[in-house]
Amino acid sequence: MSDTTQTAEPASKVDLPAHLGGGGGEIPSFDCTFRIARFDPEKDQEAHWEEYTVTMHGTDRVLDALHKIKWDIDGSLSFRRSCAHGVCGSDAMRINGRNRLACKTLLKDLDTSKTITVEAIKGLPLEKDLIVDMEPFFQSYREIMPFLIPSGNEPTRERLQSQHDRAIFDDTTKCILCASCTTSCPVYWTDGQYFGPASIVNAHRFIFDSRDDGGDMRLEVLNDREGVWRCRTTFNCTDACPRGIQVTKAIAEVKQALLSRTLG
Amino acid sequence: MQVHEYDVVIVGAGGAGMRAAIESGQRARTAVLTKIYPTRSHTGAAQGGMCAALANVEEDNWEWHTFDTVKGGDYLVDQDAAEVMAKEAIDAVLDLEKMGLPFNRTPEGKIDQRRFGGHTRDHGKAPVRRACYAADRTGHMILQTLYQNCVKHGVEFYNEFYVLDLIMTEVDGVKTAAGVVSYELATGEIHIFRGKSVVFATGGFGKIFKTTSNAHTLTGDGVAVTYRRGLPLEDMEFFQFHPTGLAGLGILLSEAARGEGGVLRNVDGERFMERYAPTIKDLAPRDIVARSMANEVREGRGCGPNKDYVLLDLTHLEPSHIDEKLPDITEFARTYLGVEPYTEPVPVFPTAHYGMGGIPTNVESEVLWNNTDIVPGLYAAGETACVSVHGSNRLGTNSLLDINVFGKRAGIAAAKYAETADLPELPENSESFVVDMIESLRTSDGPERIADIRRDLQETMDANVQVFRTDDTMREALDIIEGLRERYKNIGIQDRGKRFNLDLLEAVELGFLLEIAEVVTVAAIHRKESRGGHFREDFPDRDDENFMQHTMTYKDADSEAEGIPGMRLEWKPVVITRYQPMERKY
Amino acid sequence: MSAPTIPAPRAGYQRSKAKGSNFEMGAWLFMRLSGIILVVLIFGHLIVNLWLGDGVHQLDFGFVAGKWASPFWQIWDLTMLWLAMIHGTNGVRTIILDYAERPATRMTLQIVLYVASAVVIVLGTLVIFTFEPCPAGADPSLLPSICEAL
Repeated sequence: MSDTTQTAEPASKVDLPAHLGGGGGEIPSFDCTFRIARFDPEKDQEAHWEEYTVTMHGTDRVLDALHKIKWDIDGSLSFRRSCAHGVCGSDAMRINGRNRLACKTLLKDLDTSKTITVEAIKGLPLEKDLIVDMEPFFQSYREIMPFLIPSGNEPTRERLQSQHDRAIFDDTTKCILCASCTTSCPVYWTDGQYFGPASIVNAHRFIFDSRDDGGDMRLEVLNDREGVWRCRTTFNCTDACPRGIQVTKAIAEVKQALLSRTLG
Repeated sequence: MQVHEYDVVIVGAGGAGMRAAIESGQRARTAVLTKIYPTRSHTGAAQGGMCAALANVEEDNWEWHTFDTVKGGDYLVDQDAAEVMAKEAIDAVLDLEKMGLPFNRTPEGKIDQRRFGGHTRDHGKAPVRRACYAADRTGHMILQTLYQNCVKHGVEFYNEFYVLDLIMTEVDGVKTAAGVVSYELATGEIHIFRGKSVVFATGGFGKIFKTTSNAHTLTGDGVAVTYRRGLPLEDMEFFQFHPTGLAGLGILLSEAARGEGGVLRNVDGERFMERYAPTIKDLAPRDIVARSMANEVREGRGCGPNKDYVLLDLTHLEPSHIDEKLPDITEFARTYLGVEPYTEPVPVFPTAHYGMGGIPTNVESEVLWNNTDIVPGLYAAGETACVSVHGSNRLGTNSLLDINVFGKRAGIAAAKYAETADLPELPENSESFVVDMIESLRTSDGPERIADIRRDLQETMDANVQVFRTDDTMREALDIIEGLRERYKNIGIQDRGKRFNLDLLEAVELGFLLEIAEVVTVAAIHRKESRGGHFREDFPDRDDENFMQHTMTYKDADSEAEGIPGMRLEWKPVVITRYQPMERKY
Repeated sequence: MSAPTIPAPRAGYQRSKAKGSNFEMGAWLFMRLSGIILVVLIFGHLIVNLWLGDGVHQLDFGFVAGKWASPFWQIWDLTMLWLAMIHGTNGVRTIILDYAERPATRMTLQIVLYVASAVVIVLGTLVIFTFEPCPAGADPSLLPSICEAL
């Protein structure tokens, strides 16, 4: 049997709170000024700021504003985006100095009376406007062997895993590789060689998977001069993660695993 | 311009593309071309689960699964294909588990399963637990796991390469795939990828609609590219509207919310699905639930200031249960609507979700160029393709199954074909179509803006070709689309650069959208019946006598269809094996 | 019109060769362990020198000489010197690694750091073992007052 809690059959009819039946009003709209770091590799030597003012609604996200600017004002504004609800990880950028996903940042959560600054994430080579070269990021990711390395013969059915063992690495399976964490890390800003939080998070996802037998190899990789020991526990990564992953905690757990492997 | 040579060229790195790449990458020299980074693909947005009759938690078998798929698709499903999918579902799930996918587990440590709309035990007796899942991020886990295994097998990716044309040639008098023409976003350079086999796995085209759960990038590139090359599209009129999109935004809230016990309510607090599907209620197939919701709103029982949505009620569920099984979708409700699902019902309304139609293929994923004959070396899988396992309405979870079963089949078949085939010679100037298109768009300076045309297209599709359709509304949409196609000829773009020119690519994508919207609308006008996701108010009943067949739409300069020149419509018979069409009741 | 040189996008990127040693782990662990020990050593040192007895007024060459006559205090101070210096040096090393971007700057700063640390450690160690407040034959005017008693 599954552990699915069987709730009683829900009522055929319930009383709803009054505000759901009607009333309410128009969504308020307001003018909002964005200061966006622009960089055209075919013209500019360096990035420069440009300001745009657009009329937005309280329910809009920063991505909506960027779209409005691109679609109605300046078509050359370039940024990556895809799913627009925080699961694909395309649109990580620095909004008011903090790494966030543009599609998950609601304007009402920002101070719209002031200019909102938007710039590309730091630490990766800038390509154009808000687009950076993701290749170094994915290269670090690939280096930690982000795939299941099982041992023994392949079973005919699924490998068994207890609910407890599954829960241990649940947090780090949420990663969408948006690079918000890695590019918020001050160590990564000056040292592009550092593996960075995202790689460590993805290593954690396998090191602590009871079905995996390649933990030793990954720990060996992360024991490198540019591995987990470069983490200064500034918690920038944890703050930046749009998926709410406890990144710094995951890094600490990898450190502990390394220590107990060597000393234990 | 650069020319690359591979055995297998895969277009698209979502679930189907990467599943194919894992197979063909181990057997043949494979390149995967993708317009976005593989992990950005929209497979990652799938939530609820992937059905397979593992029978881990209760009695089940693949035959029941086949029946549900056929009935769910309102009998327009090719039953041989549905049987293949339901049978291979079990291995597809086990394959993923062995690749490392972290499924939720039963107390015994097996893969856990839950209920999903339209999936029943013993031919419709009661809901069955068939969906294997990882919280409400099953698609995310599948996408990550497939990418991880591509990394493991060293699959060669060409990231941010837009495939804009298919190269076909004649080998011994037979139309054969020879490669693709692609545009590199980073440099603006044109690349030709020659391949013995080409696999299209480019996903859907939901961006023809305004309210959609689809990503901005889902502009039907692969579908439009093959259509422009004279290959048919099958069953394009069938588009699925997912019942529970966040009201006004279209962001998907998984059917798992109802699988875990959530119910829909109207403004009176009534659980209205009891009226529309007395047996399985809120877990009826999506087309029925979406229509019921739209009907509630039409009849004035909607909620909110404009009475334009209904409510998804989870408040009778334990918060801990919600946190464990539906963490992401509850966060969407909090983030985007500011609603706390523990205590308040969530405003929802149907959102354009999935195109059942696409490039016609057989069960080996080989692309057909008419009702029976294949194009050697050309394969398609996933939402791009129409096998047809979904018929006129796809059951929840069957898309994740589709990409894994038919992605794998396409990868194996493409690699096997490449073993014996020779690399076809390129026809002369095979890149010229793309080069001309790109250059004319890059230098275009007309008065029309891409965004305006796209907005008008999406608005008319939402208003006229959505859950309820009539001849009048669709003719109106068609008129507007024809007008937009004229306006498209006078567009102007602002970015004239070579590097990361997304302005240019949006213009190209808009061309694809217009082409597809026209096909969808014409095919929908042509089908004068109601079946699955296609509901005609002027023809509210299913008409098996005249329409128990697939629509095949061709681009054909010498023909005309429903008053639109340049198109030809044909019918293709449905494969019926075990199950004779019956009335579809739940 | 267009800027002359644009680095080719997607230019390769090379990771420096991994060393396969446990040095960084050792360093990380050392910082934590030495930190704990230093808390004990430094507070012990401060309490004995500044608080017990006459407190800060008792401090003179004689007091120091008295302490270092005992091997216990010699080892205490020696441990404190070495741990504090290595702890501090490693701390500054990580700061250099964090903030110096150019390899040449890193190298130069690190050399300066290591030389300075080595000098301090060697000098300090010598002093602990060879401390003689009243060397024979020295100019009495240069000696502290306690030497008059000798």
